[in-house]
Amino acid sequence: MEFIDLRNVEREYRVGENIIKAVDDVSFSLTQGTFNVILGQSGAGKTTMLNMLGGMDSPTAGTISVGGEVISGMTEKELTDYRRTKIGFVFQFYNLVPNLTALENVQLAEEVCTDPLDAQEMLERVGLSKRMDNFPSQMSGGEQQRVSIARALAKNPQIVLCDEPTGALDSGTGRIVLRLIQDVARDLGKTVIIVTHNAPIAEMAQTVIHMSDGKIAEKKIHRHPKKVEEIAW
Amino acid sequence: MVKGALWKKAIRDMQKSKAQFISILIMAALAVSIVTGLDSVWISIENHTDTMYRATNRSDLWVTVANPSEQQVWKIQKIPGVALAERRFTADADTDLPGNPTLHIYALDNQNTLDQPDLRAGRFGKQDGGAVLDEAFAKAHGLKIGDSLSVKLNGTWVRLPITGLALSSEHIFSVKNSTDLSPNSQKYGFLTIRADSLESVYGQKVFNQICIKLLPGADVSQVEQQADEIIGKNLIGLIAWKDSSSAGSVDSLVQQFKTLATAFPLLFFLVTALITQSTMMRLVENQRSQIGTLKALGYSRRTILMHYTSYGLGVGFLGALAGLAIGPVLFGKVLIPRLRLTLPDYSVSVNYPNFFFALLLILICTGGVSFYACWKLQGDTPAVLLRDKPPKRGSHILLESVPSLWRKMRFSRKLIARNIFRNKSRLIMSIIGIMGCTGTILSAFTINDMVAAIPIQVYEQTFTYDQKVLVDQKKTDFRYLNNLQLDGITQQIQETAAEVVCPNGQRKMEPLTITTQDSPLVNLRELSGKKVTLTNDGITMTRKLAETLGVKQGDSIRIKRTSDQYVSVPIVQTVYLASGQGIYLTDTYWKSLGEKFQPTALLIKWNGAPDKKFLSSDAVEEAVDRTGQSADFAATTQVMLIAVIMLIVIGAALAFVVLYNCSVLNYTERIRDLATLRVLGFHQKEVRSLVLLENYISSFLGLLLGIPVGWFIAEVVAAGLDKRMDLIGSLSFQNILISGAMTFLFAGFINQVVAKKMQNLDMLSALKSVE
Repeated sequence: MEFIDLRNVEREYRVGENIIKAVDDVSFSLTQGTFNVILGQSGAGKTTMLNMLGGMDSPTAGTISVGGEVISGMTEKELTDYRRTKIGFVFQFYNLVPNLTALENVQLAEEVCTDPLDAQEMLERVGLSKRMDNFPSQMSGGEQQRVSIARALAKNPQIVLCDEPTGALDSGTGRIVLRLIQDVARDLGKTVIIVTHNAPIAEMAQTVIHMSDGKIAEKKIHRHPKKVEEIAW
Repeated sequence: MVKGALWKKAIRDMQKSKAQFISILIMAALAVSIVTGLDSVWISIENHTDTMYRATNRSDLWVTVANPSEQQVWKIQKIPGVALAERRFTADADTDLPGNPTLHIYALDNQNTLDQPDLRAGRFGKQDGGAVLDEAFAKAHGLKIGDSLSVKLNGTWVRLPITGLALSSEHIFSVKNSTDLSPNSQKYGFLTIRADSLESVYGQKVFNQICIKLLPGADVSQVEQQADEIIGKNLIGLIAWKDSSSAGSVDSLVQQFKTLATAFPLLFFLVTALITQSTMMRLVENQRSQIGTLKALGYSRRTILMHYTSYGLGVGFLGALAGLAIGPVLFGKVLIPRLRLTLPDYSVSVNYPNFFFALLLILICTGGVSFYACWKLQGDTPAVLLRDKPPKRGSHILLESVPSLWRKMRFSRKLIARNIFRNKSRLIMSIIGIMGCTGTILSAFTINDMVAAIPIQVYEQTFTYDQKVLVDQKKTDFRYLNNLQLDGITQQIQETAAEVVCPNGQRKMEPLTITTQDSPLVNLRELSGKKVTLTNDGITMTRKLAETLGVKQGDSIRIKRTSDQYVSVPIVQTVYLASGQGIYLTDTYWKSLGEKFQPTALLIKWNGAPDKKFLSSDAVEEAVDRTGQSADFAATTQVMLIAVIMLIVIGAALAFVVLYNCSVLNYTERIRDLATLRVLGFHQKEVRSLVLLENYISSFLGLLLGIPVGWFIAEVVAAGLDKRMDLIGSLSFQNILISGAMTFLFAGFINQVVAKKMQNLDMLSALKSVE
């Protein structure tokens, strides 16, 4: 079985009388240590996918297993533990805790997981060794996103989930951030899943899951993914 | 002015921040209800008593004289400041009713207009030989108009038909004498008759008192002095209305509630202002761009200021009205009928001037504060306002200057510490709220303890007699009492009152107690508990009286002797007596001042059973048990306890509103951060503790500060509560513990409520963009 394995996953939402299928019979698998993109327009069901993979939501049918562990059907508490130890999150809007410095935001990860990486080292890796004692409000968007990446990686997770990581950044900064995710994850052997509507980013990925209307429209495997610099934005 | 659309906006804004605006409303209502409630108690008493005083045409001064002549009355009438002087007869009389109650008889001449009974039923005929009976007494004994009763005057039983029922302005707080602390209409009442009715007993009309009505603004002591000169040797007593036991009791009740009404509400006004400040600051901050839009649309600065000020004004005004509706009902309706006063009715009046003052204050606390919150922002140009607000800044806090400590702290602790310091105003508000809660509860318990300690100090430690026997001075003297050979320890005391003149020229009637130096049954003590023996070279004064008169040990005061001369007496020592302030001196010293020792009471500690024969003898007027006196005293202070309980409830409300408000603010302001933490894998419990721990920290700090505040309130109340009571007490560990525990219980309960609310925290909101 692959590292991440989804079988006939469904997610229904009840809105009043209507039942909306956000994710409809989706099956795919991803290999450990790869760089993957889930691509789709808004409403395609990609955020629901992200939520389920991230342990914030559970499918109404089907199974999701990660590293041999079935996470669909876990209790709220088990899911929290799953997020705590297995998942590193990078948000579109960084979501740094405004009251904590860059270093402290990364240290936050140390507190929750069992086998954290050194916070200072992580910040050095993302090139912020000089901004460690700054508060988020004193940093640019790109810098904040890099802190966010350092925070996700410091947890030493199995999967780094990124939700539109470049969505709030200009293209130049976006590239830097993407390369950073790619490089660091590769160095540390992490599986990366980026959820985005930005098609060019998909060219970086080894696997691309293209979603549309809650279903997989296309699954593409790039034997030779492009480098960030090669992507036409 | 504020336009229709803005009104709608105001209403909707308030609906959005329901919890906050309701909190402001509740605090404003509480603040105003305490003011109007406690005020309504004393103003109602004053109104009802004033009505009675007008209805009865109450005198201002009573001069007791053995057989006053018409000439004397005429002379008194001529004293400047005197409006009217009349004669009447007054005496205590036994009755033939079961339980042998006493009626105080007033016999009025037909043409008398002063001190009339306030008729509630029937009539007070001039020729029919009828009598008007105390309404409460009649009720207690099941008597009605048309019934008859007999009273014993001058040794003769007189039968009188009851023609009317009435109240008397001298019997609002109706106690027979100093040994009775609590009115009991079963045992004591009054009866007003015509002077003609006395002819059958005395063979003629008799009088023993001159009632004097003064002109408004007349100097009472001047008139007293001149009346004194006119009457000369025949003067038995002279008592101004305000020194009478009924008026004194009413006065001290009024004083008690005035003290409570000033000591407690301030905190509530402060908290209202703080809640409004935090709410409006946040609202105005959040509406930065809206304010910019309004400005860009052409609304004037004034309109916008008015708009935001109206939020506070509106809520404050509504709160004040609610307070006005609740306070007098809650406090007045509950407390006034329980004050043991005999009033024509117990309806509640409102002290409107003070209400308007409280309203003004609350409008400043709400509207004024809102105005200020908006004032800061509205100066910016629309362009500045329309730009995004600068992100909230984290900042380094003092704690970090101790790196060894800071580094060791867990992240969650750091987060809490920074959050607390970033939101100082919220922290201060929580602390003040909790401080108020702990302070109110602690002061309530402390005052309660102080009051509860009085009967113990007085009736257990100081007085150790079994019975206090009031003796008939006409039939007894100290030799007679000495030779009684009762089986027990006895002590003779003479209780009287004398005018004292302080070094600062102040003149007052104060109680004197003259007794023997050995004083086996009255153990006066210093505050420290050290026993004090009366000396033969000066007087001993109770601590509180010395304080009230502004004198101290070593000073000399002058006492007016019965011979009308003044003697200077040194205060050789002061003693602590919790209730019943006065001057104590030995019979030897009393005689050395040229006075006669004429005991009014005999204190007895029986060896065996009380001597029934002695107690039923003619020499004995009345005997009271010490335990009964103690219980009576406890009963008089019950109203205080009810007031205290009400204040505890209000203190709890204070804690609840403030803490809930702060928690919700703390939660909603950080909802995004908290959701992020949940996504990052923090457990529900951990996230919850980030918010709730802050509550416990502020609760703890507030609790610590609440201890001195509670003590301060208790001290202020103790000092001002009643000039006859010397309340002392310390903060007991137990009370601190109880109020602390109660505070934490409230805090814990609120945390439960907030925790429940936090369960709905939506993780996915973390993924959405900042609004």
